[in-house]
Amino acid sequence: MAYLVTFHWTWLLASLLLGLAMGWIAVVHRGQGVSKRTARWLAVLAAALVALALARVIPGRPGYWLDLGLIMFALYLAGCAVGSWLRDWALSRDAPAA
Amino acid sequence: MHGLFRWSSKWWPGVIPLVVFWAIAAWTSTPPLESDLAARSTSALKDSVLDKTRIAVAGRDVTFAADAFSEDGRRSAVAAVQAVPGVRQVNDETRLVPEAKPFVWSAERDVVRVTLRGSAPLPASKGRLFEAARAGLGGVEVVDQMNLSRGAPPRFDNAAQLLLDQIGKLKDGKITLSDTKVSLSGMARDLGGREAIAAALKNLPEGFSVAANEIKAPPYIFQAYKDPVAVTLTLTGYVPDNNVHGALATAAGRKFFSEKVVDNLKASVGAPSGFAAAVAPALGALSRLSTGTLVVTDREVKLSGDAFYDAAAAQIRAGLGKDFPQGWQFKAEISVKPAAAPVDATVCQQLFSDLLAKGKIRFESGRASIDPDSAGLLDRLVETALRCPTANIEIAGHTDADGEDAFNQALSEKRAQAVTDYLVKAGLPAGRFTAMGYGSTKPVAGNDTDEGKAQNRRIDFMVRE
Repeated sequence: MAYLVTFHWTWLLASLLLGLAMGWIAVVHRGQGVSKRTARWLAVLAAALVALALARVIPGRPGYWLDLGLIMFALYLAGCAVGSWLRDWALSRDAPAA
Repeated sequence: MHGLFRWSSKWWPGVIPLVVFWAIAAWTSTPPLESDLAARSTSALKDSVLDKTRIAVAGRDVTFAADAFSEDGRRSAVAAVQAVPGVRQVNDETRLVPEAKPFVWSAERDVVRVTLRGSAPLPASKGRLFEAARAGLGGVEVVDQMNLSRGAPPRFDNAAQLLLDQIGKLKDGKITLSDTKVSLSGMARDLGGREAIAAALKNLPEGFSVAANEIKAPPYIFQAYKDPVAVTLTLTGYVPDNNVHGALATAAGRKFFSEKVVDNLKASVGAPSGFAAAVAPALGALSRLSTGTLVVTDREVKLSGDAFYDAAAAQIRAGLGKDFPQGWQFKAEISVKPAAAPVDATVCQQLFSDLLAKGKIRFESGRASIDPDSAGLLDRLVETALRCPTANIEIAGHTDADGEDAFNQALSEKRAQAVTDYLVKAGLPAGRFTAMGYGSTKPVAGNDTDEGKAQNRRIDFMVRE
């Protein structure tokens, strides 16, 4: 894992920043969200993929690509969470002042 | 926390660029990642002793194939690759080098090359043997057909190295090491090479032994050529040592009374037993030929040439083999020299005097037995007597002044008679010869010095018309 981070830090940073941006926007976004049902399925899918990666079932290049995708996705999610939280915090700080 | 769930339902649009990023990252990073992992794995194996190492990387998975020389070595090599940072898993295709039983190594030499075959225990020792062969055999092509195998006996390297040194002493042949048994066959390069190899084999490391040593020595050759035109006797080839060399040179000087001896002999070990005892009589036989070649090859004596007359040819053919030590063979190709043109009595006398001036008929001290060394001279005298068939010849014996006159008189008569007998045995009519003894009454030099006495002890040939 440490090796992947040092080897791909630019791509990982890009995923994190993308996540921050998306999280920042998501708080005030008015569009359609994912339904709870779909979200559950997506979570199951993600968990299955993580399980596959940890079990090292997929060999060779596809296995590497899965690992890479999951790490980028994880950082994206982390970025989203931090971004959303920051936006929420910024809004709640601005609101009393206004 | 509730907010996070609410917000997260709207995070999905970012996944679209994320997927694009992911595709680009996967597309661009895979080949450099694979070559980086291959390089790291290779360097992790730097200190492992392996053969046929092959590393293939797909993604982060390394397929590692190699031949290891021990189970521990194999495990530690796999562990070393597994420990490389970034490697996800190792497909272990390593195996142990096959075990050779018996463990056979050989070096074979033919005229132009040395071929190393069989098994070597480790790549390093294989390389060392190859380099040692190249360095030790300067200029000879070395072909390496060695495999790597387990199961070498302890101290294999030392033994193989020692055997490799011996290959240089062979002209052709093969040295095989089977477990701890050494077998050798072939032909030594030089005389003494066989003995040198046998001596070196005594230094084989502990536990190794010689199962068969069939190295042959090159033939031991001695040659003598009597050239009647140049009046030389040329000696070439080998003699066992300087004592034999000296003895043969002295004998040649006595037997070949008129020829100049050209001595090109070299001393070398490896002579067949009885060498001196066989070569001395063979040289005596050669001295009785007008022109001839004596070739001694190991224990075979070959004499070819022209005798001076028929009886001499028969005597040489029949007589020589008898003098030889056991196990020696004798081949004679003796023909007879065409008879020389007849001459008149005066020329005959001149020829006798010339011959007797160059060499003297020798006898055993105080007795009337002719020294065999004088056979060459006597044959020349017979040949001369044959050239003047009508002349009658007085054979006159003389002694020095030592001892009693009566004894000297008798001795001189007996010696003259012995020479006459020799001539008659050679086929000359007895009626042509008169044996006379003069004791010490007709000296040709003073009897007060050894040199003078030696000159006075003589046989003279006087032609009587």
